[in-house]
Amino acid sequence: MAIPNNALRWITLVLRVVLGIIFVYAAWAKLRLPWQLFAMSIDSYQLLPTPMVEFLARTLPWFELALGLVLIGGWWLRLTSAFTSALLLVFFSLIVRAAIKGQEISCGCFGPGETISWKTMLRDGSMLAGSLFITAMAFVNRRRSRMPGPESLPQGGTPSEPAPSLPPSASR
Amino acid sequence: MRFASLAAAALLLSAAAFAQEIDKGKILGSPAAPVRIEVYSDFACPACRSFHEQMLPLIVRDYVMQGKVAIVNREFPLNIPAHKYSREAANYATAAARLGIYQPVSDQLFRNQESWSASGKVWETVAGVLNAEQQKKIQALVHESSITAEVQHDLDAGNGLRVNSTPSIFLVRGSQRLPIPFPVNYSFLRSLLDGYTK
Repeated sequence: MAIPNNALRWITLVLRVVLGIIFVYAAWAKLRLPWQLFAMSIDSYQLLPTPMVEFLARTLPWFELALGLVLIGGWWLRLTSAFTSALLLVFFSLIVRAAIKGQEISCGCFGPGETISWKTMLRDGSMLAGSLFITAMAFVNRRRSRMPGPESLPQGGTPSEPAPSLPPSASR
Repeated sequence: MRFASLAAAALLLSAAAFAQEIDKGKILGSPAAPVRIEVYSDFACPACRSFHEQMLPLIVRDYVMQGKVAIVNREFPLNIPAHKYSREAANYATAAARLGIYQPVSDQLFRNQESWSASGKVWETVAGVLNAEQQKKIQALVHESSITAEVQHDLDAGNGLRVNSTPSIFLVRGSQRLPIPFPVNYSFLRSLLDGYTK
């Protein structure tokens, strides 16, 4: 059973705004605390050198804030949603990796204090799925908008009538 | 105005109650230090041992000795089969705190973690750092209900803070309580503490 286009648009809108709000909240949860706490969370994954950890801890929350606001606003949707999906894919992979390795570390997702668990994976996996859906819809909508629609018909024409040939100057 | 006065009074009362609930025998450093680091740990937990033996001495050297930070030890024996002697160890350590010898006893328990957590010889391990008189006092104390109640109190406090793994570390400054992610990177912790203890 196909979902009506209108329903898909609403689902996408709600998902986009919810994801945007989650990103803004995640940023706020980190920015209200000293950056060193987020740095220690990143460092607990034991993947990056200390200077890189510090750089990420100082900049990533601001980036999340910007991304959240742009998602809520719905600007540059294909670019933003694709980037959000890529970012969430990285986060999700890191969380799964830590869980597989048996690391009982702070996720760092919404500030310190949340140890990685199946709930973390479920939440981040759902966010990733939602973001991938938004990205797919953004690209599908773009393709649809580029397809010729009724407004591209010549004046007075109907879909069943053959379009009159345009003069060479107009067809350029 | 009346509400503000009541709120202020409640805050003062809760602060006083909080100050009372800390076992002074489990504090390392000055209780008047502007910053407290609360450590919820389990004597059978290897990560707690690593924190106790590697990180704690650095914090003590750089901040506790200068009166800037106090370490508050809290018991959080995990209720899992691999840690079946943790609670007993916590009881002995709490009894030792009453005699003012928490540190040597906790050092001994962490140092010999592998042996007693496998054999169950907790008392034999603890007794190794006690003289005859201390042994007698601790054996009498450990059976008191106030000791088990104190351990349970720490457990309840940890559960209230949603502690679900050990060690769980909190940095407390005034009414602010920040969970410190583990494992602790000392360069970031130092940067944080320097900012708070200027």
